[in-house]
Amino acid sequence: MNTQTKNGYMLLFIGTDWHKGLSPEEMQKVSEQWMAWFKRLTEQGKVVAGHPLERDGKTVSGKNGRVVADGPFAESKESIGGYFLLDVATMDEAVVIARQCPGLAYGAKVEVRAVRAECPLSSEAEAQLAEATA
Amino acid sequence: MNEKNEYLLLFRGKEWWSSLSPEELRKTMDQVKGWFDRLTESGKLKAAQPLAREGATVSGKTGHVVADGPFAESKEVIGGYVLVQVNSLDEAVVVAKSCPTLRFGMEVEVRPVAEECPSMVKARQILAEALLATAAA
Repeated sequence: MNTQTKNGYMLLFIGTDWHKGLSPEEMQKVSEQWMAWFKRLTEQGKVVAGHPLERDGKTVSGKNGRVVADGPFAESKESIGGYFLLDVATMDEAVVIARQCPGLAYGAKVEVRAVRAECPLSSEAEAQLAEATA
Repeated sequence: MNEKNEYLLLFRGKEWWSSLSPEELRKTMDQVKGWFDRLTESGKLKAAQPLAREGATVSGKTGHVVADGPFAESKEVIGGYVLVQVNSLDEAVVVAKSCPTLRFGMEVEVRPVAEECPSMVKARQILAEALLATAAA
């Protein structure tokens, strides 16, 4: 199924250790390819925002956010290295763009997610209301 | 390092809202709305969007592996993001801690937005060090 959304798609780049084993020259080359890719997509009007993320950060959890942990870890297979926000109409189109990611060749993964029109809480409230009045 | 002082808050967790009673749901919606209103008024909120649960994961050398997922039931799945502009990581953590849905088991990842790809920065550092070492030899 190819669901349409006017809200666009988010690409999450997973894996911050892709450069391991590469020479600094190769690392620079892949980073440059990545930037050129971003520039091309911007010119085509297909990407509306995007940022790399610093490797450090914090994780907040627990009631009232009382658990604050360091992390995610500096360089790992699972941590998110950056994101793009795409202005494309279909999941297929978003996947086509994701497949062009220069990091894929070095083991990075791309998560493709549709942006929702509204908060899931409002949708749930509407669903409950519909059920109650049915 | 982070000149624009932007921080990305990623919200992870299961679909906890589907188990709430209508009263609890209404109360939580009001709290979330109040939280967003306060963030907006304070000028800290730059962007925020919820994500649909379905999606795809692309991997493999040429992106030839396309899998469904992440799965809605996963505790790790990202349900949405908030982009804030504050003065420090500590301040971004304070914003994350004030999120009213943490009590349902959500987790918030707080990440500084980078001006430049950290791999690029690292490559330049290694090259500069190598150059210095050559010059010293």
